[in-house]
Formats: sequence, C-alpha cells, structure tokens
Amino acid sequence: MKKRTYNNPVGVGKYTGLLLITPFIAGFLLFTLYPFAASFLLGLTDYDGVHPPQFIGFENYRELLADSELHDAALVTIKYTLILVPLKLIISLFAAMLLNLEVKGIGIYRTAFYVPSILGANLAVVIMWQFLFTSGGLVNQLIGLTGADAVSWYGDSRYALVTIILLRLWEFGSAMVLFLNALRDVPKEYYDAAKVDGCGGVRSFFAITLPMLKNVIFLNLVLQTIAAMQEFNAPYMLTGGGPMRSTYTIGMMIYNEMFRYHDAGTANAVSWLLFLCITAAVLILFRLTGRNREDSI
Amino acid sequence: MKDKLLKLAAFCCAVTLSACGGRTNKTVTAPDGKLDPCTIRFSWWGGDDRHEATLEAIKLWNSRHPEIVITPEYGGWDGWTEKTAAQIGGGTAPDIMQINYDWLVTLSPDGKGFYDLDRLADQLDLSGFDEDVLSFGRVDGLLNAVTVSVCGRGPFYNSQTYESLGASFPETWDDLLALGETMRGSDKYPIDLDIQSGFTAWYLSVVYIQQKTGRNLITMDGELGFTVEDIEAALDFYKSLEDSHAVRTVKEHTDQDGNSALYQSSEFISGRVAGVLEWGSSVGKYEMVLPEGALKAGPLLADENGNNSGWMIKPSLLYAISANTEHPDEAAAFMDFMLNDSECAEILGTTRGIPSSEYAEKSLENSEKLAGLVLENHEMLEAADTVTISPYMELDRMKEFYNTAIEKVSYGTEDTHTAAQEMYDAMSSYLEKIRK
Repeated sequence: MKKRTYNNPVGVGKYTGLLLITPFIAGFLLFTLYPFAASFLLGLTDYDGVHPPQFIGFENYRELLADSELHDAALVTIKYTLILVPLKLIISLFAAMLLNLEVKGIGIYRTAFYVPSILGANLAVVIMWQFLFTSGGLVNQLIGLTGADAVSWYGDSRYALVTIILLRLWEFGSAMVLFLNALRDVPKEYYDAAKVDGCGGVRSFFAITLPMLKNVIFLNLVLQTIAAMQEFNAPYMLTGGGPMRSTYTIGMMIYNEMFRYHDAGTANAVSWLLFLCITAAVLILFRLTGRNREDSI
Repeated sequence: MKDKLLKLAAFCCAVTLSACGGRTNKTVTAPDGKLDPCTIRFSWWGGDDRHEATLEAIKLWNSRHPEIVITPEYGGWDGWTEKTAAQIGGGTAPDIMQINYDWLVTLSPDGKGFYDLDRLADQLDLSGFDEDVLSFGRVDGLLNAVTVSVCGRGPFYNSQTYESLGASFPETWDDLLALGETMRGSDKYPIDLDIQSGFTAWYLSVVYIQQKTGRNLITMDGELGFTVEDIEAALDFYKSLEDSHAVRTVKEHTDQDGNSALYQSSEFISGRVAGVLEWGSSVGKYEMVLPEGALKAGPLLADENGNNSGWMIKPSLLYAISANTEHPDEAAAFMDFMLNDSECAEILGTTRGIPSSEYAEKSLENSEKLAGLVLENHEMLEAADTVTISPYMELDRMKEFYNTAIEKVSYGTEDTHTAAQEMYDAMSSYLEKIRK
C-alpha cells in the first residue's frame, strides 16, 4: 500500500512543533519543575533566608513529625476537607440542576451564581464576612429574631471553622459550572423514556443523572479535595488561624514558617508533607471510585 | 545513560542550592559620591496619617530633585514583615525601607543584610543623632539602620467615654482593676488588650512584672530574664484584668472584632472600648477614628507607691538601605532628606514619633508642631525609669509563644502554671537556637 503523504503548505519543518511548545516547556521548567526540586532540597536544609542553606538531611521531617503544631494543623485540614468537599459537591450539583432548567433569563442566574467564585477570599469578601458573622452581625441578628441565642462564630473554636467552610461553600461556582456542562450533555430522551416507564423525579436522579455524572463528580471531588487541603487564604484573612488553632491549616503553617519565622527549611519540609498527603488522598479517591468510573458511559 | 542522568541530577542540585544562597554573594554597589538620575523605591508601613504625610514629603523631594524619582510602597502593619522578608529574600527589596527593630536580628544577624550606612557619610548627615540612639541600628559594628524616633507604648483613652461615666484615667494597676468593675454595669471597658501581632495583652503584663521585680523579660543579648514564676505571675495578672472586666476576654474580643485591628473596630469607634495601649509613634490612626480631641494620653500605670518603672522604649522604627541597591548615594540623599530636612520634618510632623534627629526636632519646635499625644507620651516615658526593649522580644515566633499562653489562660484550657512552664520552655529553647 502506498504511503500517504501530505502537502506542507506553510513550510512546517521537523522541529517546528518542538519550537511551538518551547514557551510552555521553558515556563514549566522554570516555574514548576525548578521550584518543585528546589523546595525538596530546601526541605533538607537549615535555611533562614539570610545565611546560605546548611544541609541537615531529614532533620526537619524528624522534628516536624513530633511537632504538635503540625499535628493540630493536619487535624484541622483533614476536618475541613472532610466537611467542605461533600457539602460543596452536593450544593454545586443542586445549583447546577436548578440552573439547567429552561427558565427565562437563566443566563443572568448562572452568572450571579458564579460571581462569588471569582471574588475568592479577598479583602472585600472578608469585610462582608466580618459584617455577617461578628457578634453583632447580620447572621446573629437574624438568629435573634427566632428567639435563639447568638452564636459565637469567631470566638468559639467549635464554630470558627464553620465560618470558613461557609465562605468556601458560597464560592461553589467552579464546581457548579462543571456539573452544569455535564448535565447539558445528558440526552433528554433518557428522562422521557424513564417518564414513560413511570419513573419519578427522584428515581430519575439516582438512576440516570448520577450515573451519567460519575466522571464529573470524580473530577470535582479530586479538584475540590486538592483545593481544600491547600487552604490558606480564607483562614488567614478571616480568623488568623484562631481561636486556639481551630482554623490553623497546613497552608497557614507553611506561610508562618516561611515568612513570619524565617524558617525556609521547615516550611519546605511541611510543603512536601502536604504534597505527599494530597497525593495519597487522590490515590485513595482513585482506588475507591475507580471501579465505578470504568462502568460509566 | 544512567551516569548522565546522575550527573544531570547532581548539577541541578548544585544549581538549586547555590541559587538559594545566592543573595548574600551579590556584590554591594559602592558609593560614588554623585547624585545621578534614577528611580528609587521607598517602602513603609503605617496608618493613613503617616501615608498622607509621607506622600506629601515625597512630592516635596520630587519638586527639588525631579531627576531622582521616588516610588512609594506602603500599607498597614499586618503582613508587612512577611512582605518585606519575601522581598529581601528574593532580592527585590526596595532601595530604602522603614524597618522594625527586630528585623535587624532576623534579616541582618551578621550586619551584612543591609547597606553599611557609615559608607554613605557624603550624603547622609548623622551629626544630629546621639551615638546612643545610633547604636540601636548597629549590628556587629556596621551601621545597618538609622533610628527615626524612640518611643514606647503607653495608655490612651477615649475621654468622652470616661467623662460620660464620670471616671478619671487610671493611675495605678489597682485603679485599672477597680475601673473595670465600675464600667461593668455600663458594659464598657477602660482599655483593650489583644493577642494580635501587637501582643498588647502580654506587653502590659510584662510591664507589670518588670515594675514589680526589676527584672527584664529578655536581655539585650537575648537571654531570658524572667523566671517561670515571673511568667506565671504575668499570666495571673492578665487573667485578673479579664476577671475584673478591665479588658475584654480573648473570646469576646474575637467575637466582636473578628480579625480586624482595634482602630477599625466598631467597639472602639463607638467608645464602648475606651482605651488602647499603643506606641506613641502610631497613635494617630486611633486618634483619626474618634471625634477630634477625644483621645487623650493617660499616665503610665504605677504601683501603690507611685513607682512607674518597667515601661519600655525602643526605636519605634528605623530607615535602612537595601544591601542590593544600585543607587546607594541617591538612597542616602533621600534618607537624609527624610531624617533631617526642616521642611520635610514639618510635613511629616510626629507621624513617626518625635524625631531623633536634632535638626528635625528643632524644625518641629520652631513651627510649633511638636505637640499632641505623641509628645505627651514621649515626655511621660522620658520622665519614667524605662527599660529598652530587647530586639528579641518582638520576634514573630516569640509573639506566638506569648499569644498562645494568653489564649490558653483566657479560654481556661490551661492553668497559669502549666501555660507559664510551656512558655518558658519554648522561649528558652528558641532563644538558644536563634542566638547561635
């Protein structure tokens, strides 16, 4: 059989492809791989950012494993992730289903639901959260109307983490967009056929919608887990990690070690521990959900 | 192939570690005694009063030296240390920086972290400074920074709240405790203490113990001066302030203000919290949020015999030049302008405290701008038997130890004895590590 040949009207040479991806490769080497390798090496040093780093092997890791600060931060991070991620997936899926309805002006609603995700935990949002959750804030005023006692949102270590979780739940837009996109790909005929067979809304949801969204649910689960385990901004801005370290995440610990305590060795070692934890969490998620995903359409 | 990969890995390791330590190897630009056209960056932290005055001063400089453009970088105190440390670590520090006293320990432990200002005598006139004041900025004999002003914390009160309650400012520790009980009925507080970056809760407790024992918390060379018993007594004292309603508990404070600074808190602005423990050089931001003239300096709290020793002073802030600057002469000339120039001094007023430069102080005197809360606080501290704060006291890790202990005592999760022992152990081991 004669080998097919193609014309090359724009003169693409042998190395053109390589040349075209060079900016990405350079960026990846410089801004991802280099910091990644440097971070690991710095984690093996005693480095204050002023004197040259001194190689100390795994001493930072040995000290960290016995450090109560890391234990506290790890517990908070795990608790935060375990509460936030499932709630966020449920809320974003629910919102996506609502926004998938054919209603007049749905584009405006979709935009409005997505806006909080763009805002992030910036200063304006933090001020709004202060206004909502401080002791005389709007939320407590509303609670007061019901006759119930005001809640100590920031001062009580049981509730402080809740304010941060609520902030991140409010920012469900990115997960919602993925769900919405997947929902729009589900053929309507499936629902019509189910309806003819006498299948109700709830049954359709569990028998059609959820199975069809398996891959997107998994994708969101992984993305949201990674983001939650890296949480820094919201507790830093809202609570400073308090009270009693109840909102002190591993992300905050890395920041403190690096920029407040000038201990770059420890900060990088914690970063690598976090990286290993995230990798482990993602592998577990793959293992737990792998079989189901293989079945998906 | 395996050999090549190993060589490549070894090369990468060497490059990485050498890049990490590279900042200290950079050649320092030598002064040439001339002022060339350039752009230099100047950074500072502060409140709005300081920002506005400094921007005005920069305008004046630019009108006199249009060829040397000053780019301002400024913001609030929270996060400023971290930002500057990152800039210095990354070799992108501004040419001139307003620095805090403890940064000399952390960022220039060998005196080479900042430019040696003695080399810039052609542009920087330091004849208006006492040698004692200049010595605050010397590290290993090298002049790393120049003290802008010397100041200390003192109590400032909202006189309108006090007048409305018919109360007078406390003069002794007992007065403060009694005042708390008096204000309990009206749900107001005579003063506020916190566990934020200013660590005022621990600061006031330290003053109390230093006054009582004559021992300093930390010596100038970083030795712990307090015993476990002293720390326990300080924590007991703090708890007594909370119990007597002299200050809000940590929980109330956090609930009401969240993570906001006190001068941004509605509790302070409304007058419910009627006092603050603040540096004389920074009190302007509290003054600005209250009705004009409402904030007044209170006496330094004393024991029943009138002994008001134990209060602390330090260089409120210093100016330093980056070791990496490419424009040392121009940076020094601008620093000289900020420190000594009479017109500039009048613009800046007391937004950075009472100037340590004799020339700037004279200008303020002549223009009758040496007045107000800063001066009152300054005079009170000058009249008292003060203690110079050790630069080790304000290190962030140390603040974490103080605030953790105060928080545990306030929330009742630990008794003062246990919290004191933990704090003592943590401080001892950290100081030993950092002194090396």
